[in-house]
Amino acid sequence: MAAVQHLTVSTPPVPTSYKTPSVPSTSRISAPHPSGHRSLLPVGPAYVNHLRLSLHHAHSFSALDKHLEAERERLAAIHGESNAAEDDLGVGSEEEPEELLNLDPKEWKKQDHYAVLGLSHLRYKATPEQIKIANRKKVLKHHPDKKASSTPSSTTNSLYLTGVNQNTNDDAFFKCIAKAHEVLTNPEKRRQFDSVDPVFMELEEDIPNATEIKNKNLDFFKTFVPVFELYSRFSKKQPVPGLGHIDSTKEEVEGFYDFWYNFDSWRSFEWMDKEVNEGSDSRDDKRYTEKKNKSERARRKKEDIAKLRGLVDLALSLDPRIKRIKQQEKEAREAKKRAGAPGAPVKKTKQQEEEEKKKAEEEAKAKEEAEKAARAEAKKAKAAAANAAKKARRQQREQEEAAAA
Amino acid sequence: MATKSLQNGSAEVPIEISTLPPVVGINFGNSYASIAVFTKEGLAECIANEDGERQIACAIAFHGEEMYIGNQAKQQLVKNAPNSIVGFRNLLGKKFSEIPQTENTTSARVIQHPELPDTAAYKVQVLQPSPAPLSNTTSAYTTPAASHAPTPRSEPILVDRILTVSEVVTIFLKSLVKSAEDFLGKQIKGAVISVPSTFTEEQKDALEKAAQDAGVTVLQLLDEAGAAAATTTTPTWSGDSLRPDRTQLLVDFGSSAVSLSLLSVREGLTYILAASNTSAIGANQIDDKLIKFFAADFTKKMKVPLTVCPATSPADQRAEAKLRLAIEHTKRTISASPGAATCSVESLKDGMDFTGSINRMRFDMLGSPIYASVAAEITALLASAAIDPHDVDEVVYIGGTGCLPGLDNRLCTEVGLREDVETPFARGTIVGGGLGDPTTILARGCATQAALIDSIQEEELRAAFGRGHEAREVKATTKTIGVLFPNSLEENKEVGGTWIPVVQKETALPVRRIVSFDVEVTEGSKRIAFEVWEVKEGIRVEKVVQSSLPSSDDEDDEEPEETEIKHRTLAKEVLLGAIDTQAQLAIQTKGKGKDVGKWFTRVEVQFIVSLEGALDVELREVGPDGVVERFHVSAL
Repeated sequence: MAAVQHLTVSTPPVPTSYKTPSVPSTSRISAPHPSGHRSLLPVGPAYVNHLRLSLHHAHSFSALDKHLEAERERLAAIHGESNAAEDDLGVGSEEEPEELLNLDPKEWKKQDHYAVLGLSHLRYKATPEQIKIANRKKVLKHHPDKKASSTPSSTTNSLYLTGVNQNTNDDAFFKCIAKAHEVLTNPEKRRQFDSVDPVFMELEEDIPNATEIKNKNLDFFKTFVPVFELYSRFSKKQPVPGLGHIDSTKEEVEGFYDFWYNFDSWRSFEWMDKEVNEGSDSRDDKRYTEKKNKSERARRKKEDIAKLRGLVDLALSLDPRIKRIKQQEKEAREAKKRAGAPGAPVKKTKQQEEEEKKKAEEEAKAKEEAEKAARAEAKKAKAAAANAAKKARRQQREQEEAAAA
Repeated sequence: MATKSLQNGSAEVPIEISTLPPVVGINFGNSYASIAVFTKEGLAECIANEDGERQIACAIAFHGEEMYIGNQAKQQLVKNAPNSIVGFRNLLGKKFSEIPQTENTTSARVIQHPELPDTAAYKVQVLQPSPAPLSNTTSAYTTPAASHAPTPRSEPILVDRILTVSEVVTIFLKSLVKSAEDFLGKQIKGAVISVPSTFTEEQKDALEKAAQDAGVTVLQLLDEAGAAAATTTTPTWSGDSLRPDRTQLLVDFGSSAVSLSLLSVREGLTYILAASNTSAIGANQIDDKLIKFFAADFTKKMKVPLTVCPATSPADQRAEAKLRLAIEHTKRTISASPGAATCSVESLKDGMDFTGSINRMRFDMLGSPIYASVAAEITALLASAAIDPHDVDEVVYIGGTGCLPGLDNRLCTEVGLREDVETPFARGTIVGGGLGDPTTILARGCATQAALIDSIQEEELRAAFGRGHEAREVKATTKTIGVLFPNSLEENKEVGGTWIPVVQKETALPVRRIVSFDVEVTEGSKRIAFEVWEVKEGIRVEKVVQSSLPSSDDEDDEEPEETEIKHRTLAKEVLLGAIDTQAQLAIQTKGKGKDVGKWFTRVEVQFIVSLEGALDVELREVGPDGVVERFHVSAL
């Protein structure tokens, strides 16, 4: 479609008395300048379009429109392909809510660095490359140099502010971005921040306790899968075994609990340290704070370990598979006790079990009897063999004596 | 940012596609040339050569074994004038007999080529390196040498070298293209070169040949007016303030000639309404005045007699050449800053140094007669095209002299242009290499054009950019057509309604124009009605007698001043059609403001005027299911 020229005029309504004039059918526009009177300057895209119109499309605007549209699509396709080379590694662009933009860079300890960089959908999973890309995106968008020109001075209409530079707070969010980048690109700082990531901390608080689960009759798997997922990111050993499903084998379940009872966590709580008062020269003061921080860290770590331990205990106590496995083991033991045969079939109805028991008993009896008989026979045979041997020995002796004699 | 984000690591290794088209725009003036390329940002930009000069002097000088091109060569005019060649462009393609043998130039003189018949040439003295001595190792007859040292080369010999004008142009163009290649880092595929409107076909042929010898494919030889239009029709130039349909006056103030063109710009489609060219006026005259001024100043300060323009003695000639170089800087300073500009020359004459300064007012006074003659030229041009100065919408200056603010002021008042006429000075785009910088407009236009031609695939279309293609000849409208919304507002009493011009006069055919605007409707009827008229535009001159100031008592006999105030007038001529319909999508304005509670709808009106002069009008309400009305007026 050709360019629409938008005019700022707006016409008043037609007076009600207005009557449409009758147009004389003979009216024509005045004769144009004849061809050759004017000679176009062969410049610019407009000339190219004029040429296309007259040479290719027989002065039909709709045909030209079609051609231009096709051309545009062709170019867009080419352009799109070349655009594909720009891989943002799935960083995307997140909306920034108002409260995020109004963050105070001085309060950087409290800010959510992932949200600031627009990585809240990736969080601890973000790779260093993604962080780099995200930071670049944000910097491009929020650089103070750009802001100064884009914020019109007339936006604020308060009278008393005129003449005051209102752009002073413009780089606040930029500072937040810089801080977030600093934290997330330093592995140590990032580990500390990830340990107390505010979003996950909230989730951690939502973990239900034993009574809640019992009272509300929550589903075991639905409750505990997210809990363990939440904690699994702290593991030094990766990958972390999953909770599994209801039909998981005994080995899997045992492996899972084994892993979680020996959980090796990198979580630490330096982030929550109280700031050492840098201004004071008192060495004692500093040392006191440091000591306190250290003990606080240790306390938090201990609490965290205890909490996790408690969670694993809770899970173990509620795990339907554990109950099942215990039951099976019990049955197996009983069966063993009764039949001495380990590896009895696992699941049978009572009747079957009884039948089987009977059968087993009968079999055992029969076996016993058979064995008894066999033993008796063996005894006899043994005795016979012994007798025979005696006999043979006696005979031999007699022969030897005879020979000696 | 790419809208579709990809999976991590799925992107291919980015292929290095350079978006810079390997083309260059060359503005080839008689005294200065400039080159421009298309940058990554999609803008044409004037680039500097190796010496950091954007304005490259058209000069070639030979000194010993060295050859100087550009501003370095211009320096040679002081000490080595007979071996310096300047002003060669205008001689290109001309026979020796056609070149007037006049002025006592200090630079190399044009002579008849000793061998080629009727060909202009230059004779310069150069040191030719003597041929290397034959190496004796290859010789079959080796004789015992006295030493193992190679035979020294003998001294270079002083020889006369004859260069035709075409060869000089080739050398010069080659150096320009080399600069552009160095900038882009790849070979130049093609170039668009500007030519003055005075160039004959033979001269254009000669330029094309010279360019070919320099190893450049000429994509197009573009008229200077065309090159300027290529810049001024870009979206970056017009911005928001300039209307797409306008009448544009190009003032090309060259050093040796002034050429004026009046262009009709209609949504990028441009043609010349009238043009004039005179070599009687030129920036050289301003230079002469300035040199005379400084020479007089020097004489006064140092008590050393110095007569310049024309200078007679060799000492004076050299002093003039020195001053001519120095005032380039003075002129640039005075264009760029409102304060005074200095001119300093070491050892101007008799070992005396000179430092002088000139302020803007004095400068304007010096230039005043030249400005006045340019203004007279413009007035004559407008009169010949029967266009009132009031109808000129935009003035564009070309050439370094166009940077002088005194010129702009003078022309605007003396020609009688409108108060709100768009000039690069009024828009503030002239300083600091801005958009309206007169020194780079042509080169940028050439580069834009080169990139455009380079992007065209069809051979047929490319051919139409050549010289004198018949596709350039067009029909054009003679009168303005537009829509009239009837109402009884006081301001619209003249035509009885709100007039919105759609197709301006002097628009090339066939044409399609779409305008959109808001229409107010009454809540009850929602009626939209308008008429389509062809109108005659005119200028009404109102003479206002200014009350003479009471302070001028002693000059009672002076007549009271009369000021002319011009108004645009409209006269409805032919009623072409009318549309009366009901709006479907009118919306009541909410909130605050003067329009609250009124009903508005946005409409688009499309006009198509065919090649034969038939008119199709279509009214379309913007939005889904809006009302659509159309009618047709057949051709004569």
